[in-house]
Formats: sequence, C-alpha cells, structure tokens
Amino acid sequence: MGIWGSIFLLFLILISTYESFAKEGSAEELNEEFTEGLLLRPLPDRKVLAHFHFQSSVPPTRTYGRHHHLFPKSIYQLINKFRVREMELSFTQGRWNYERWGGYDPISSSNAKPPGVELWAIFDVPLDQVDASWKNLTHALSGLFCASINFLEHSTSYSAPQWSFRSFAGKLRYGTLPREAVCTENLTPWLKLLPCRDKAGISALMDRPSIYRGYYHSQRLHFTSDEYDTAKSNSGIMLEQTLTVVLQPNTLGARAMVSGKTLQPSWSLSSLFGRKVHGKCSVSKSSNVYVQFEQNLLSELKEVWKESEESERGILTHNNLWTNPIFEMSASPHRIVKEVGNSQQEDSSILYEFSVEDFNDSEPFDLGLKWKLPVAWSCQQAPLRASRFLMGSGNERGAIAISLKSSGNNNTQRVGCSENGSQLRIDIFQVVPWYVKVYYHTLKVFIDGELQSTMENIEKMHISSSEDKVSPGVMEMILRLPCGVKTAALTLEFDKGFLHIDEYPPDANQGFDIPSAVVSFTDFQASIGFEDNFLNKLPILNELQERKHVICYTEVLLVPLTTPDFSMPYNVITITCTVFALYFGSLLNALRRRVGEEERLLKSKAAKKRGPLTSILSKLFAKLTGRPIKPPETPSASPSSINYKVIVKVILVAGMAVGWQYYFR
Amino acid sequence: MAEISEAPSTLDPDFDQENMRKSKPGLKRLTLSLAVLFSFLLGLPFLLKSIEIYRSPLPFREIDDLSTAFESSPILFPCHFRAVFVNFDPNSYTADQLSISVQAHMAKFAAKNSLACGTCASNVTVSVTLDSNSNCISNGNNVDWKCGALNEFKFAEKHEDGLLDEYLASLCDNNSGAKVYTVVVVKTEQEEVRAVVGKYRHAWIMGRIFEEEAIEKIAEIFVNVFVNGGKEEGLIHGEFMPLGADGRIVLSFNLLNADPHNWIYDWDFQEIDENLLSPVIDALKPLADVSVESQVLYHTPKSSFSFWDDRLDSYIFSTKDLPFFVNSNEWHLDTSVAAGGLSKILQFVVYVPSAKECPLQLQLPNGEISTTNGFISPMWGGIVVWNPSACLMDSKIKHPLRYKISSEDSRKLFEVFMGQLRQLFGLKSDGLFVGASGTSILLASERGFSEWELDVLSRQHSCFNLLQCGTTLGSLSRLVQSLPRMIIMDDIGKQVKYSLEAARLTLSNASLGIYDASAESSRQARLLAEDAFYHPSMMSVSYYSFEHCFAVYSPFFLPVLLHVLLAVLREWKRYKQESKKYYAWKAKVK
Repeated sequence: MGIWGSIFLLFLILISTYESFAKEGSAEELNEEFTEGLLLRPLPDRKVLAHFHFQSSVPPTRTYGRHHHLFPKSIYQLINKFRVREMELSFTQGRWNYERWGGYDPISSSNAKPPGVELWAIFDVPLDQVDASWKNLTHALSGLFCASINFLEHSTSYSAPQWSFRSFAGKLRYGTLPREAVCTENLTPWLKLLPCRDKAGISALMDRPSIYRGYYHSQRLHFTSDEYDTAKSNSGIMLEQTLTVVLQPNTLGARAMVSGKTLQPSWSLSSLFGRKVHGKCSVSKSSNVYVQFEQNLLSELKEVWKESEESERGILTHNNLWTNPIFEMSASPHRIVKEVGNSQQEDSSILYEFSVEDFNDSEPFDLGLKWKLPVAWSCQQAPLRASRFLMGSGNERGAIAISLKSSGNNNTQRVGCSENGSQLRIDIFQVVPWYVKVYYHTLKVFIDGELQSTMENIEKMHISSSEDKVSPGVMEMILRLPCGVKTAALTLEFDKGFLHIDEYPPDANQGFDIPSAVVSFTDFQASIGFEDNFLNKLPILNELQERKHVICYTEVLLVPLTTPDFSMPYNVITITCTVFALYFGSLLNALRRRVGEEERLLKSKAAKKRGPLTSILSKLFAKLTGRPIKPPETPSASPSSINYKVIVKVILVAGMAVGWQYYFR
Repeated sequence: MAEISEAPSTLDPDFDQENMRKSKPGLKRLTLSLAVLFSFLLGLPFLLKSIEIYRSPLPFREIDDLSTAFESSPILFPCHFRAVFVNFDPNSYTADQLSISVQAHMAKFAAKNSLACGTCASNVTVSVTLDSNSNCISNGNNVDWKCGALNEFKFAEKHEDGLLDEYLASLCDNNSGAKVYTVVVVKTEQEEVRAVVGKYRHAWIMGRIFEEEAIEKIAEIFVNVFVNGGKEEGLIHGEFMPLGADGRIVLSFNLLNADPHNWIYDWDFQEIDENLLSPVIDALKPLADVSVESQVLYHTPKSSFSFWDDRLDSYIFSTKDLPFFVNSNEWHLDTSVAAGGLSKILQFVVYVPSAKECPLQLQLPNGEISTTNGFISPMWGGIVVWNPSACLMDSKIKHPLRYKISSEDSRKLFEVFMGQLRQLFGLKSDGLFVGASGTSILLASERGFSEWELDVLSRQHSCFNLLQCGTTLGSLSRLVQSLPRMIIMDDIGKQVKYSLEAARLTLSNASLGIYDASAESSRQARLLAEDAFYHPSMMSVSYYSFEHCFAVYSPFFLPVLLHVLLAVLREWKRYKQESKKYYAWKAKVK
C-alpha cells in the first residue's frame, strides 16, 4: 500500500513537473513578435526591386489578454469589432510588368497588385451579417488609411466570389477601386502600424520622394486571425505589411559600356533611397537585408564566369561569390541561403543575407552592388501571359477579350503538363460593373486562333449576372487548355448601359474603369524552398517559401460611356415651356379675336387716312409713270406667276442644299 | 355680340357712331379670359403643393419653453441632511433650534457660491438628533438613528478612521431609500477637533467642540462638501466633465518610449487593468460606461525643450512648456475604433524620457519640483513623466535593454493617474478640504470615488446634460426655422419628441431626488438631441431651391401669364367702354 502510494505520489510529481515545463515552454512562444526585412533583387531591365516586409504577430486573446506592447491597437480593434478572419488591403500605383519583372516567383504572385485599391476580407460572422460588416469595415479602413475605401460600401462596387478567388464561399467580399490615387497620405498611416514607424530600422529607408519616384509602388496589409475559431489550437493574429517598389538606380552620366554591351547599373541603398540604415528597429526580433539573384541570372552568371575564367585566372568557389570578376558587393554577407527543391534546373536562386543589427549612427549600413561585366538575363515567366483589351467602337456596344499567350519558355510543357495530364488549368475571376452589360452567352473561346465549341474547354463556370444599380456581374471560370497551346483568347460582348444623370462622376468624360481580372494558374506553385530549416523562423523567407498559386492581374480597362450634355434637362424644359407658351398665347388670342370688326376697322382706316409718306410716294409714282393715282388695291397677282416664283425659290434652295452637301463631303 | 355695330343701314342723325351702340356688349370673351385666369389661380396651390418639400413638424414652442426654462433656473435637487449630536447637553438647545440654526448657516454658505447647476434646492430638510447617554431627542419624522450606538464604538483608537467609517456606514445604511447625508458630532475630551468626511454619505467631527462651532462646521460640510463636492475656484467646471454624450468614456493608457535606442520599458497592463482599474470602473458604472485600452509606443519624443539644472541635478521643464509638451505629430494616440460616435476618449500618457533628457522633472511656478511629475489637460487627459532608475547610470549600451516597469512603480503611476482622473472630473485630488471653519480630511476610497462624490458628479452630469440638450434643441429649432427649404425627416421629428420626453422625465426624477435615474434619462435626452442635430439627413437642403424652381417654371408661366393678364385687362376695358356706349345710346333713345 505504501509502495503504491509513493509511486502514485511520484507519478503526481512527475505530471506536475511536466506540466510546469510545458507551461514554461509555451510561455516562451506566447509573446508578441515583430520582424522586419528587406529583399533587393536586380531586375533584367536595369531596375531594382525592393520589397520591404514587416510582420507583427500576437498570441490569441484568450491566453494573452487584450493589452499589447507591439501589435498596433487600431488593427486589433478592427479585427475584434468586425470579426475579420482574414483581410488584405493593397494600395498600388503603376502596373507590374510581368514580362520584365517576372511572373513566376512568390513576390510577383503575392505582391503584384492591380492599380488603385484592392480589398478583400473574410468575416467570421453569420452569413446575413457579412454585408453589414463589410460596409462598416470599409468605412473604418477609409478613416484609418485616408483613402476613399468607403466607396466600396455600395453593393455595386463589391462582389462575393464563390470559389475562384479564395475558398471561403459566402463570407468573402472582394472590391477594387482602380482609380484611387495612392500617395504619402496612405503610406503614413500604414507606417503608424509599425512600432518604429520610419524612425528606425529598415523602414527608415522609406524616403518619400525616392519611393514614389519608382515605376511600381504597392503597399499591402494582410492579416489573418483565428480569434473566433472554436478549434483550440489558436495561433493568434498575424499582421503582415509589405511595400514593394521597383526603382531605377541613378546612373550618373552615360551608361557604362564594356566590350560593346551595356553594364547593369550599379547601385547602393543610399543611391536608391537617398538614405542609409542606422541599425535595426530596437523592438524587432530580426532585421535583415537580402539580395536575391534569380536562377536565370545565376545560370547566366555562370556562363559569363566560364568565359572569363579562360581569360582570367583563379578558381572561384561558391564561397566568395560576392566578390568576383562579374560583380562586387560592398559588404560581405552574413550568410548565403541557397534554394533547394527546384529539381528541374541545376541552378537555383540564391539569397545573400546581411544583418543590420551591428550597425549604428556612426557607421550606417549601406549595401552596394557593382557590376563589372555586362550580364543579360530574363525573369521566369508565368506559363501564359494574360492581357485583356476592349474590342469594338462606338458608344453602344463592344467586347472584352482576355488573351493568354504562351510566354515562350518551355516550362509550360514541362511543368504544367507533367503534373496534370495533358491539360493546363487556368482560373479566371472577373468583376464587371453593372453599366457594362455583358452577355455571357456570347462567350467565345479561341485556341491558337481557332474558335472552339465553348463547353469543351470550360471545366466549371459560375456567373452572377449584374443587376442594374444593385450588383456587378461576376464571372468565375476554370479553363482547361491543351498542353502545347500558343495562344488562347476569350471574348465576351457587352452593351453599354445608360446611367442616371446623378450617377456620373465629376469627370464623366474620362470613361469608366473595369477592374482587373484575376488569372491564376493553380497547377503552378510559386515558392522558393530553402535548405536551412532554422531559417524558417524568419517571416520574409517564410513568405517566399509559402506555396502559392501563380497569380497575375490583367490590365484595367477604360470604357467610354455616352456622356450626356448635363445642361440638357434644363434646355429641354426651357424649349418645351416656350413652345407651350407660344401655343397657349396664340390660342387665347385666337379665341378672343373679332375677325369681322378688325376687317372693318382696317378698311375704314385705309379709306380715311393713309400715311403721309405712302400718299407722297404714290403721287410721286404717278407723276413718274404718268398714270393717275390708283387707290391701293389688294395685290392679286395672277396665280401662274405665283407658282412660277415659288418654283424658282424652291429650286434655288434645293440647289444650294445640293451644292452644300457636295462641297462639304 | 360685343362688336362695334355694323355700319348703320339707316342714317340716324342722332346716332353717334363713335360713342354709341345699340346692342348690349357681349360677355363671351370676357368670361373666357376670366375663366382662364381663375383656372390658373386655382391651379397655383396645386403647383406649390407639388414642389413642396417634406418637413416633419417640430414642437418649436415646447423646445423654446424648455431651453428658456433651463437657462432661467438651474435644475436643483432636493437634499436630505441629518446631524447627530452625541454627548451634547440636551438642555442647552432643542433639536428644532439646532435644525433651524443649521439651515440658517447653510443658507449663508449657499449664498456665497451662487446656485450652481446640480446643487440642492432651497427645500433642504435638516433633521437633528441629540444623542446623549440619558436620552435621545430628535426632530423630523424619518429619523432612525440608533441612539447610543456610537458608545459601543471604542474611540480609544484615535486614528482608525477607516474602521469608524465602516461602522458609521453600517449605522447609517438602515434607510436605503432616500439618500441622507449625515454629520455626526461627538463631543470628547480631546483638545484637537478632527473633522473627517467618509467614503460613504457621512462625516464626523470629534473633539471638544461647542454647539455654535459645531453648527457652523456642519453647515459648511453639508454645503461645500456634500452638495458642491469640495470644489474650489479654478478647478474644472462641471460643464466640462469628460463624459461622452452617450455616457461612454474610453480610458486610453499609453506608454511612450521617447527613444528606444536607450532603453525600452514595458508594463504589465493586464495586471493593472485587473487589479487597480476594475474597481474604479465598477464605481463609475452608474455615471459612465468606462472602457480601457492600452498601447506602447516607441520613438515618441516630446516637442518642448528641457534644460539641465545643476542645482536640482536633473533636466527641467517648466509649466510654461506644458502646452508644447504633447507632440501631436509623433504621438499617434488617438486611433480607437471603440470610441466611435459621441463617446469621449481620455488619454493617459506615461512618458519615459530618453537618455539625453533623463531625469526629467516638472518645475512648478514657485520653483519647486512637482511631486507627481505630471499634469493634466482638461478634456484631453493626463501625462506623467516617469524617470527610469537606469537613467543615472549613464552607461553606453550598444543594444537597448528591455525593462519592465515594476509593479510597485506602476502602482504609483496609477495613483497619479487616479488623481488626474479625479481632477478631470473636477474633484479634489489631495484629500483635504480647507474651509472657513477649519480643515476636513476627505477619506480616499480604494475605488477612487467615494459615494457622495459620485452623487455630486451624477447631479452635475444630469444638470449639464439637460442644459446641453436645451441648447442643442434650441439651435436645432433656430436652424430649422431659418432655412425654410430644408428637408426634415420623420426621424428627426421623432428624436426631438423623445428627447423632450426624456428631458421631462429627468426633471420629474430630479424633483424626486433619484440621482441615478435622472442621470440616465438626462443622458438619453442629450443623446437624442445630438442625434437629431447631427442626423445625416439634417443639412440636406433641398437641391431644388427657389431660384431653381423659378428658373424651371418661368419659361412657361411668364409668357402665358402675360397673355392671360393682358387679355383680361383688354377685355375688361373694352367691356366697360362698350357698355358706356350702350348706355349713352339708351339715354339718347329715351
């Protein structure tokens, strides 16, 4: 009995110690975290991509409480008030150039956004409250970010995609404002959400003139929250803020030429942004700067290397890759991270990691990249290049065409078709405002220029047609294309609707925007796997590593609608009233006219006195002609002469009209 | 036929063709023109009706009555007082005499500070109980003082104010209905006279004291403490009570690290919230719905300058710098979704100075260093500068160290904030009341606000709510009357009606002395009035203005009316002329 008792006691002690250990272990994890990172990547068209990445995370309220030390209060309140499960808001200026800047990497799939504002949110409320939550959320965000996001409140401007955008049917709302101008007033509130704002750390690089001078500028805010999940394993709220800019490095003077080829421009942080990094943000867990060399660039580098190796001596290993005959980096990287898992190509992309932790005001961090030999490469492309344009002319009808062109390199055949039989799957999601009345039955599919029977290539389609002044038209579609397809095109005809005079924007003559369509290649995953497992804790690498579909956005279309003459109603009123008044007045006068009396009066007047002038004239006339004075008689010319005159007049007018027409044709 | 007659067939020498006619002038054309004119005139009301805009009828007269009533006489509440004289000689004064002289003294004190809003009406009732060992005399009807009860309490422990307070509370708590303020005067053999105001609705005076002196003291405590809340001139006026129109306050606590390169301080706000703030929130519940939020901000320098003072061995900022202390560019305190609509945010800021301005001290105008090292800004909140202990070490650390404000320090900070909150509400924060007849100690409640203070606040709150409601409705009615083309929706009419009803309810509650209910209904009245005033449809002045209307209708009506009027005039003139001719002929024929 005693033995059993002691064993039981031991067991209890063991359990309690285990629990306390577990608690300690979990307490380690349960903390707010903030990390910052910057990814720089040279682009083939002499530009540089800079991708700022900030992430704040907070453990769930149930265990951590509602008072935070790092996490922005306003976002937390937003999530709690509107019960948002996931939300993404992006402000973009310029269009991502898929051809030159790549369409197959994680950055282009998640950070290339349509121009203007894009907002989508998934709510954790009952289905009938989703719309109300969305409306309140748009107003709150509009106040928070100084933007006109509240225009997304109207049911004509947002839609509820069923399955093509994300798979949260019913609770997802999606809306875009293609014409929203993005500037510093949107960036400042976005920076306020960072604990160090732009006072310290990597975000100090954000010099407004420099980053707004770029070719592409997209600031994004994305958070996921599982506060309201019933499942026990909550991970809390994860807020991700990214700013993606494409900048042109300042090349002073003429372009440097080496052996007839143009050198890529050399750049440094201070030449790109006009600022340097003075150490990290003190509350951030990690703050690193990465320089990424894509796999195409790397294989190109190796080619050049081999050539130069013959002329120059020296064995160059991978270890001192940052100073070599081709390029030179001003600082030695902290670590080199190589991509793994990309079995198709022997070359894989490479990341140079620089930590800014050890720098301070006296010696700021200023990374530079200097090219010594010319290199030319191209970015990895999405399997098909999507673009969208308008067809037809006039203000009555037209057609939307989405064209998909093979981007030329071979990964279509290789990747898409090996995985999935002989078919290439493409998801298209398109929202069209109600005043562009799309006839979905006119959908035509062309493959390699030949018209196909529609249903053959469409695997699944969902259409919610637009309702006038209530909801936009939404088209979701899964397209299956054969493997070696060169071009594919979809056309849809539409009629242009008429708006009420109140519904025109102030600049009605500019035309109306049709938001970008989303084309996603779900067979393809854009992700870069890295070899080091312990690196997974760095959010910026996690973002690159996350497996996402390759997504691209098409162009925004500008549809000119018939613009009325806005003063027309008043003109119509005035003319109608005048005509009515004339008619009424003459009717009244006719009613009270005394015909007999007037005639008699006239006669007596004429008999009694003629004006002195007329009598003198008639006398004069009589003198001249030698005829006696005649009392004025009613002009009764012969009917034939009248006819003659009339005919002459009519012919004259007709001749003039014909001449006019002939002359001015 | 109203025509000029045909050429006369028979030449009548008497018949003057110009001035006479034989037939009666006809009426056909005249009636026609008149009919057209009258049909236009009849149609006019219909036209005006068709271009009319909708205006919900507002009770303008009642609004005016209400606002003038509020302005002319402030809302006063009935108050009940009780004085208990223990161990006094029952033969020198009777209870009625005492009661009358207390009332006379109270009137004297009340006259000094004119009838402010939310004070007591002139119909105060003072009941007096004389409790001595032998007998127990009292006037008034509802006096249920347990005579001789105080003798059970041992006065030997002199400074056990808290214990005595609780004991008295148990004695006075018998009548839970009406709120009665009690002052107990105990005559003891001590030289020193102590006056203490408790946490509930009573005070006590102890010591060797005589009736006259006691009466004056009692009257002062009644008027200046229990009715006016112990306020002095210069403190925040009750009108600026930091309460939102919907009775909500958001207390936003901010910890500002001026420069995180030097050090980063953090706090355990969860603990502060649970242990220290929640009793205060509970205490304020009848008055306001308080919610609490917190954040920690970094890189938030102050925007005023401070200078080094060798004598004080610290950096000094003076009271002159206070208007520039808050750096509204860098301190982004104010985004709160919780404070939507009409609720009020109070910001409480802990400012941790950077290493190059540490320690930072506030110098008062008299040259001394402020003990709290903080200040308030009315209707905005309070700021406390908290100097970290590490700042004297002056060590050059490359990486900033993270500290946590110890719970001892955070308790101190919170005490300062509590005082600031009381000051923002217009109450005293130092726990002493200095009156004409001596100093009284105000016992501080662990809940931040004592019961009589909450009574004062809720009286003032309902009074100023009503005033606000009156002025809002008054301006609404003036606005509506000055803009005849403004659309007034039914919602606004309804809100105004309900607001007036709530205001009336408040008045009736106030006259009955139900403080909480009157605060609630006054809040309702003000909220409805402001909702009506700020209704989204409020300023939607009809786009179809009078000029517009004139421009649209004049192309039709101007020419047509010209025709009609001219026709009527001409026909009328002609008819008169022709009938004159006819009568001339008639006269001639006769």
